[in-house]
Amino acid sequence: MIKVEKRSDVSRSIYFLTPVLAIFLTLFGGGIIFFILGFNPIEALKFFFITPISDLYGLSELLVKATPLCLIAIGLSFCFKSNNWNIGAEGQLIFGGIVGGGVALLFYNHDGFYVLPIIILSGAIGGMLFAMIPAILKTYFNTNEILVSLMLVYVAKLLLDYLVVGPWSNPEGFNFPETRQFSESARMPILFDGLRIHAGIFITLITVFLSWLILYKTYLGFQIKVSGLSLKTAKYAGFKGKTMIIIVFMISGACAGLAGVGEITGPIGQLHRNISPDYGFTAIIVAFLGRLNPIGIIFASLIVALTYLGAETAQIFLQVPKYTGQVFQGMILFFLLGSDYLLFFKIKFLGLKKNEL
Amino acid sequence: MNTKLKVSEISKIYPGCIANDKVSLEFGSGKIYALLGENGAGKSTLVKILSGVVKPDEGEVFLNDESIKLNSPLDAKKNNIGMVFQHFNLFETLSVFENLSIDIDKKDEELRALVNDILKKYNFKIDLDIPVLNLSAGQKQKVEIIRCLIRNPKVLIMDEPTSVLTEQETDDLFISLKQFSKDGILIIYITHKLKEVLSLCDEVAVMRKGKVVSVSNTIDEKIESLANKMVGENLNTIKKKINNFKKSEEILKISNLNFTSDDPYETNLNNLNLSLKKGECLGIAGISGNGQNELFQILSGEIITEGTSIMFRNKEIGKLNPKERREYLMAFSPEDRISQAAVPELKIYENVALNNFKSSNFFEKGLVNEKKIKEHSKKILSNFSVNTDNVELKSQFLSGGNLQKLIIGRELITSPELLVCFNPTWGLDVGAINYIHETLIQINEQGKSSILISTDNDELLKLSDRICVIYKGKLSKIMNADTVSAEKLGILMGGGSID
Repeated sequence: MIKVEKRSDVSRSIYFLTPVLAIFLTLFGGGIIFFILGFNPIEALKFFFITPISDLYGLSELLVKATPLCLIAIGLSFCFKSNNWNIGAEGQLIFGGIVGGGVALLFYNHDGFYVLPIIILSGAIGGMLFAMIPAILKTYFNTNEILVSLMLVYVAKLLLDYLVVGPWSNPEGFNFPETRQFSESARMPILFDGLRIHAGIFITLITVFLSWLILYKTYLGFQIKVSGLSLKTAKYAGFKGKTMIIIVFMISGACAGLAGVGEITGPIGQLHRNISPDYGFTAIIVAFLGRLNPIGIIFASLIVALTYLGAETAQIFLQVPKYTGQVFQGMILFFLLGSDYLLFFKIKFLGLKKNEL
Repeated sequence: MNTKLKVSEISKIYPGCIANDKVSLEFGSGKIYALLGENGAGKSTLVKILSGVVKPDEGEVFLNDESIKLNSPLDAKKNNIGMVFQHFNLFETLSVFENLSIDIDKKDEELRALVNDILKKYNFKIDLDIPVLNLSAGQKQKVEIIRCLIRNPKVLIMDEPTSVLTEQETDDLFISLKQFSKDGILIIYITHKLKEVLSLCDEVAVMRKGKVVSVSNTIDEKIESLANKMVGENLNTIKKKINNFKKSEEILKISNLNFTSDDPYETNLNNLNLSLKKGECLGIAGISGNGQNELFQILSGEIITEGTSIMFRNKEIGKLNPKERREYLMAFSPEDRISQAAVPELKIYENVALNNFKSSNFFEKGLVNEKKIKEHSKKILSNFSVNTDNVELKSQFLSGGNLQKLIIGRELITSPELLVCFNPTWGLDVGAINYIHETLIQINEQGKSSILISTDNDELLKLSDRICVIYKGKLSKIMNADTVSAEKLGILMGGGSID
């Protein structure tokens, strides 16, 4: 007979080591998949995980991808820690992009140091307002934030579609579904010539630091922690539950909005239909892989960013579809959840009892 | 056909709690059996075992002398054991008939004929083609019962069926249940309501703390005798010295408090009035589930009732949340110490910070002052003799007694004028109980007041200056504790009246 029991205590170091285990299992699983597809697994994995970052350009690309992932995941950690399931970061990213992009288009023939900060700020506010929709519906009308935030993703996507095809499309763009190029002063400064890595990485790093400060050193962070562990206790302690739900959604939305505006003013430089390769959804995996911990999320974002790059290289060298990247992301989450189960529960093998024989 | 159901030596242990401790009971068809006990007495676990939802750690179930394995609800269905849970399992947007047809292997016409027969036989009036959401609670329950009846059950288990019903619906239900019983269905009726046991059931088994403490014919029982069995018979008569508070200052006054809950599983409170003097302990007795939870939350500010007058030290506090009430020197110790009063995953000092008020300076300008919280926590650990001095320890590693000392200590170290506590010694060992009792007597001696909501009569008679009973959301007359006997409390707890 097999019996599953909850473990009474979970060692803290093992708690942070299981994500590493999950990554190794993912590599192993990926190897098997490549083997079945007829590739040499070691070679294939090398193409996937080593080749993309074996030169400076690759490393820069890694950081370009990790920047938005880390930023969104940090914001999501506020929601997830307090038991608010914001699944719509992708929508908040796009809406932040729309608002920031709109402002950038407004300034398309302006120059000045003030242009970029205004765009960034408006993008953050856009994401924040968009995230407040599920928060307010949840607090005042008891709706389920998972459904509302998820469905708003499609609202944002379709809105972006409409704008780049219709009113905002480039007057000189031969009806391509894209806006004008933003002006130079509306672009994130590039850090090194010839590489795409941009100043957005500093926004991410500052946000990580601020989040650590808020989560671990402030009353707000304490309230978030308690609410996440027990809503009954939060109520008993007199925390203002509704205000807190709205605040965590605002933080989370602002981060996603910043990520969106970072993309359009950074590598992209205009608005078009695909401003995000599902960063908002992938960041959910990043947040959990990083254990909702700011430092953990930095590492997790680098690893998940690598799956994006790896998929691109694999597509070129192995002729496998780039969706292999999503397979790897899925495997990471699968193995993480699997090892978490063993972390929190133990399985006991008991001998058969006499009366069962 | 005769049905015999027997459970033998059933045990079920959850971490930290023995839900069923070698429970053995026998039932036979033709009778209605009551399974009586307070919340947490283990009756729900037992019926979950009978319906295949929970697997017992030990023990066996026999149906007509044959041992049966109930590994899933499906097994229960196969063995013709039907169960109507307290919370309905119906799809609200589907019609009644669709709900009935979901998990049954019959053609629609066949099923409809069968259901119509049942409706006629038991005089149920339900339109089969309207969505379930348009039905009253009583009708929804009938749908659940029909769902069992179409399977020709030998055993029908009803779990607290009247908690959402009106009086009229309750009467109807009892008529139907008696009819089922006549038709040979064995009925097990789970409840904590004594009157229902006496008016409906033939035999009654009382459970307390996971054990069966008595099995008897209901004819031989009265409300008081059953109440005493439920809460424990050893009513002790040690009492605290009763003081006369006539001339003391009034500290708390609640007038005409009404509370109507949106949740049908909660108890509504009707026209509650009470007042409390400085240095006095007011005991509130009652069988659990009669509104104690709601009353505690209204006192603590977890529930805000519109337009209610709660005067505390001549200030209106009805609209304040728990944190704001603490600023006015109130303190609260809830019933659920493990997951409400404290968070097991948090360290001791973090749990101490839950009772945060302005003068504590735990959080200055929004930042955590860890040093201050830790100093304060150390003081609590030593003043209230908690068995550790490590404030970094997670509170899940404290025993129940030490955890309760920590919580009471946390609440009392601010020298509050009023402490409201709800079952403060539930599940503790004798040593810890004595310590908590001494502490509660001590605060009264220091001129602080307390309200003790408890289901333990022994404790109430020992600590209270005045006592009243809460029954179905109404408070009885408030009596001086020295004029109250266990018998009197028993009558009031069962809904009887005394003059």
